[in-house]
Amino acid sequence: MTPENRLESAVALLPGWLPHQRWFAGKDRPVDDLRVLAATSLGADDPAIWHLLVEVSQGSNTDLYQVPLSVHPHPDGRLEHVLLGRIETGYVYDALHDKAAMADVLERFARQDAVGSLRFITEPGASLPLGEASLVLTGEQSNTSLAYGDVALLKVFRRIQPGLNPDVEIHDALTRAGCTNIAPLLGWLEGRWEDRHGGRQEASLAMLQSFLTTATDGWSLASASVRDLFAEGDLHADEVGGDFAGEAARLGEATAQVHSRLAQVLPVGTMNPDHLTDLAEAMRARLKAAVVTVPELTQHAPALESAFDELAELDADVPTQRIHGDFHLGQVLRTVVGWKLVDFEGEPEKTLAERTALDSPIRDVAGMLRSFDYAAWHLLVADHPGDDQITYRASEWADRNRSAFCDGYARAAGRDPRDDAVLLRAYETDKAVYEAVYEARNRPAWLPIPLAAAERLAGAAR
Amino acid sequence: MTLEHPIPAPGTDPQWFKRAVFYEVLVRSFKDSNGDGVGDLRGLIDKLDYLAWLGVDCLWLPPFYPSPLRDGGYDVSDFKGVLPEFGTLEDFTMFVRRAHDQGMRVVVDFVMNHTSDQHPWFQASRMDPDGPYGDFYVWADDDTGYPDARIIFVDTETSNWTFDPVRRQYFWHRFFSHQPDLNFENPAVREAIMDALRFWLDLGIDGFRLDAVPYLYEAEGTNCENLPETHGFLKSIRKMVDDEYPDTVLLCEANQWPADVVEYFGDYSVGGDECHMAFHFPVMPRIFMAVRRESRYPISEIMAQTPQIPANCQWGIFLRNHDELTLEMVTDEERDYMWAEYAKDPRMKANIGIRRRLSPLLENDTNQIELFTALLLSLPGSPVLYYGDEIGMGDNIWLGDRDGVRTPMQWTPDRNAGFSTSDPGRLTLPVVMDAVHGYQVKNVEAQLQNSSSLLHWTQRMIQIRKANPAFSLGDFTDLGGSNPSVISYVRVFGDDIVLCVNNLSRFPQPVELDLRRFEGMQPVELLGGVRFPPIGELPYLLTLAPHGFYWFRLGEALS
Repeated sequence: MTPENRLESAVALLPGWLPHQRWFAGKDRPVDDLRVLAATSLGADDPAIWHLLVEVSQGSNTDLYQVPLSVHPHPDGRLEHVLLGRIETGYVYDALHDKAAMADVLERFARQDAVGSLRFITEPGASLPLGEASLVLTGEQSNTSLAYGDVALLKVFRRIQPGLNPDVEIHDALTRAGCTNIAPLLGWLEGRWEDRHGGRQEASLAMLQSFLTTATDGWSLASASVRDLFAEGDLHADEVGGDFAGEAARLGEATAQVHSRLAQVLPVGTMNPDHLTDLAEAMRARLKAAVVTVPELTQHAPALESAFDELAELDADVPTQRIHGDFHLGQVLRTVVGWKLVDFEGEPEKTLAERTALDSPIRDVAGMLRSFDYAAWHLLVADHPGDDQITYRASEWADRNRSAFCDGYARAAGRDPRDDAVLLRAYETDKAVYEAVYEARNRPAWLPIPLAAAERLAGAAR
Repeated sequence: MTLEHPIPAPGTDPQWFKRAVFYEVLVRSFKDSNGDGVGDLRGLIDKLDYLAWLGVDCLWLPPFYPSPLRDGGYDVSDFKGVLPEFGTLEDFTMFVRRAHDQGMRVVVDFVMNHTSDQHPWFQASRMDPDGPYGDFYVWADDDTGYPDARIIFVDTETSNWTFDPVRRQYFWHRFFSHQPDLNFENPAVREAIMDALRFWLDLGIDGFRLDAVPYLYEAEGTNCENLPETHGFLKSIRKMVDDEYPDTVLLCEANQWPADVVEYFGDYSVGGDECHMAFHFPVMPRIFMAVRRESRYPISEIMAQTPQIPANCQWGIFLRNHDELTLEMVTDEERDYMWAEYAKDPRMKANIGIRRRLSPLLENDTNQIELFTALLLSLPGSPVLYYGDEIGMGDNIWLGDRDGVRTPMQWTPDRNAGFSTSDPGRLTLPVVMDAVHGYQVKNVEAQLQNSSSLLHWTQRMIQIRKANPAFSLGDFTDLGGSNPSVISYVRVFGDDIVLCVNNLSRFPQPVELDLRRFEGMQPVELLGGVRFPPIGELPYLLTLAPHGFYWFRLGEALS
């Protein structure tokens, strides 16, 4: 039996397996066609390892997925939970869970290997976690991440978009610039294939970066602080033990430092008044659509729209640059050496062009300010609905930490984001509108959070 | 080397201090043997049984020298005597011998930066500038020298220079104006200090806690702290004790950041050639900060910033001592917060710190006292207990300066807390009598009779620490974990692996730990011996009670 035959029988297992994976986008639609666009053998036997790029057609929609498989001649009990099925030559598993297969991948990074459609690239001077056992981390949605010991993290993109992934691009630029507020990039995997029209395509498939040991995400830390506040009868946010303002200010500083470094090493530009008018128009359109989905927004709509009117009338050139793009407390990690920003992929639903577009860093600031609001309110809507006293205290916590974040940002950036009031309010309003639609569709219990923000932002209108 | 008995006979283990549990005992306040209202050396001898039972390996005695006592004895007026209230040199010699008989060592405070202004050296120096002591102190015609040196006792002093009307010159002092700094540029001063050190070593003591060492030398254009000449002199002391008195430990008090303090260990490549031990000052305020913040980062950060120390050296760590809880090693913002939280009455503040004992600082909360003690006994370094904290003694903020935390030890519910048979009005300091911490409630006798007391618990924890050398000698690795309110770390010494998990929050907390490196091993809880589920590949889940903690030894899993 030739390797190609073996591969064919393994591929035959995919239609029954792919749709059940968490990262598979079209779970609700039938798979019409499935074809392998690239297959690279990374090992002939025990286990045989195949790296596949698989195109899945569902109606008019096609998506490209990265699927590494390993084939063991005998069943391996430790991989039973990722078994695709049995073929003549053995048992087919998801190779990302296979320690032997993933050790092989690491060695290819060390050799800077180029094999079949794959190219393993490392950063100059990167020290690789050779010999460390891999473990797939739980809780990921659209990618699969695995840790090599507690030394390195391999993030494997599952749904592939052609082009350089912004997460790789930004980490590469910031690592080379010596930025200390990120997890340094160690290397990445590039893939090439021909699409069904014969066009040559290229994309980032995975990135390897330092693992931030002892880290906690900002959301958990902020939640601990809010929980502490709510447990007190009558103390103010600045009086309780779990006060977060110091952390919020340091987070603001770290954010400003990353922004300033990004502006140094990657392209910058400006938005002129015409661009701002277009931006305001897009925001208005989103508000209009949102009112249909979330009727509760109607009463605030005119006031919210005034934020966009002001933006349209802003007679200024606004500096733009690469930004984080999906910035919130879940995207920052507190380590023993300060705050680190992670995950520069941008919002996953957007196209690559949208995710790499230049934008004002105020947009990231607005994202984080909204996140402080969420941190303050999510325990409230879950545990204390309708409690006026706690509602007041949640607002106080959010105000205190939002302003501490801006203070810290201003200290490091030399310019206070609150001085760009029109821009900040427009971005924050746009974000709150987006959140209202999202919560109405996905988490109605949390809808009061963006609605309260809408009310507050509307109240701030002149 | 049997680790259950970590203090072998003198002369057989030069690194005994790395495994020792230290206990700071104030002679004045521990036990009065002759009913004059002041604790003394014979009283201390009577209580050595108790200290040995508790598990103390080494006693640290703050100054017991003749002194006008304007700074708790740190103003020494004779380096080679015993304060008459405390006893005689013969009493001291007997105390050292009896302590050794009980397996305990003795470290004494030695103040070499300055003397009392009553010291004969200073009196001679001010009277006769050209005499043999004329150059023993740092004199100047004006008060403009060394302007970059900070003032340490900001509550009482306005300058580091004070005018002496006798000599009609200014003298230099880093602490109180009645404590002139010795002039270490003068070889005769260095020789006189060496001579005094040898005097005590000849009486059999096991080491010195060297007070205020960063300030020995001065130089223009510097802040007059940590100067190379200061290190040079400490190295010469080390060489003297190594050559003439092996087994002696030098414990340096340098209230500085760990990165600066490591300089006092000396040359890393030879395992350290200056002080054997140094206090790790920032750990303590950060434990308080972490518990208030319910966040592990104040502790994790300072541990991450703590450099490796030479192989033959050890940190000394403490929760409280005879000084105030110093807040120089936290940020300004955190200091304001600590003051607001832990020093609600202005009388609780002293200089840049808080003058309270452990139990009142923690509002007599047993869970927190136990958590703090568990941290003290498991973080890297040799723990230094402060007398009375093992029974949760209180303080008296109405007493002046730092006397509030130096009240008599509470032995019994009887008159004067069993400390002294004197007339209560004659006591050196009044015993604590409040309803929460008073001696009727908190005393050794009652806690010895109650097996669930803090005293018995502390004794048991010390035993466990001694049975597991990883606590004293092991590497330290912060494990992080899923929950920022929980600090978890492993200490590893050979095949002795100890896992410590501490809940800094006042609420119950879950935590998931990545213990893959110990896959297949089984945690055994050290207080009760309960075997927990074996460690697998997936995150290890533990749940902790409010301010709860676990100590586990990791051993081979039973099949």
